[in-house]
Amino acid sequence: MSSPGPLSLLAACLLPVLGAFAVDSARVGLWGVGVELVALGWLARDPRRSVKLLAFGILAAISIFVSTYLYGGRHLDESAAAALRIVYIVLPAALLTPVIQPAELGDHLAQRLHLPSRPVVAAVVALQRIESIGEQWRQVQQARRARGLGPDNGVVRRFTGLASTAFAVLVVSMRHTASTAVAMDARGFAAATQRTWAGPAPWGWSDSIVLGLGIGLSLFPWFLFPWFF
Amino acid sequence: MNSTRITSPLLRPHGSPARWRTIELLTAAIIGVVFGVAYWGYSSTYTALPGLKALTGPFVGLVNGPWLIAGVISGLVIRRVGAAFFAEVLAAVVSTQLGTEWGWTTVISGVVQGAGAELAFAIFLFRRFTWPVAALSGALAAVGGFCYEWFTWLPGFDLEYKLGYLGAFVISGALVAGIGGWVLTAALARTGAIDALPAGQEAARHNAV
Repeated sequence: MSSPGPLSLLAACLLPVLGAFAVDSARVGLWGVGVELVALGWLARDPRRSVKLLAFGILAAISIFVSTYLYGGRHLDESAAAALRIVYIVLPAALLTPVIQPAELGDHLAQRLHLPSRPVVAAVVALQRIESIGEQWRQVQQARRARGLGPDNGVVRRFTGLASTAFAVLVVSMRHTASTAVAMDARGFAAATQRTWAGPAPWGWSDSIVLGLGIGLSLFPWFLFPWFF
Repeated sequence: MNSTRITSPLLRPHGSPARWRTIELLTAAIIGVVFGVAYWGYSSTYTALPGLKALTGPFVGLVNGPWLIAGVISGLVIRRVGAAFFAEVLAAVVSTQLGTEWGWTTVISGVVQGAGAELAFAIFLFRRFTWPVAALSGALAAVGGFCYEWFTWLPGFDLEYKLGYLGAFVISGALVAGIGGWVLTAALARTGAIDALPAGQEAARHNAV
């Protein structure tokens, strides 16, 4: 069986959000998260990154637990449900995001979903520059440090440091963008009527199965859970 | 357009607000990606402070403004239909790829916030790009974000908390994303990096006189 494409994986990341609305007690939440882990766990490819991504969600769940408990009338079960609602939403993303490749996603969005091709290509071009933007980011921060402007301690200084780094990176990237645009238009990007793409965008059996799992997870807390238990 | 036919795509005059040039598409995308990285940097800081978030109550909305800035800046710089929406959604996709505490729902936030930011420019028919419009754009982006969070992150809270949170979010959106975005756009125009784009051209005309 071929591995599923980015569209079905994306759907499996997003559909459980609909199910999360129905997580109204700790019991439903715990069952939901367990079912989710079994349903989507086999698709994960990069366990280390998944754990890292999940850590963000766990921290958020703890924080929402505390704040719902303090500001929502001190109901333990309701607060636990709020926390598990977050885990139910974040877990699919943590498992599947490392599997989704931006360039491949662009190919599929344009060819299969027929999103407007020029914005999709522009987005993919920009996404492919994440690496070089990250490198520029590091260089700007090193330069700031060398000039005695960092490291940024404290919330305010951290924020202003972030803003001025973003500004510097933005200026460099914009200059680069102008020449990219001329190069693309020289190859007829603006006026092309027929376009070719980097790769094909097939929809296989595995995609249907993953989509089905996503739909199942969106329904589980609403219908399947009350029906089974 | 008939008397002076300018062929370079970089120098073509503004034209219809719905017709995008290549450089505008790429610039909107780059704004999205750069701020996606910045959002991610900001969200790592934000996630590292769960205790602070829990204790500040609805005022936590005050720190949400920075997440709305990509849409405002893109709308101000590019001045096309969909510019604010496109950049804000792309920024959300990028920060999701890098990892946030909200998973792919970050993209849903990006869509509703981008739609809010876009609405402000649409109200003025993509003709006015002054600081009050920018502030409105940031504020409406916050309202868009709030409408979505009402169903996802906020159900457990009581109404006063929700309204307080909305107020804080809107203030932060108008000031940080709106006014802040406008200031950043003006600074960007001064560097000459966006001379090929409407906001840069306007600044150049001002300086020439």
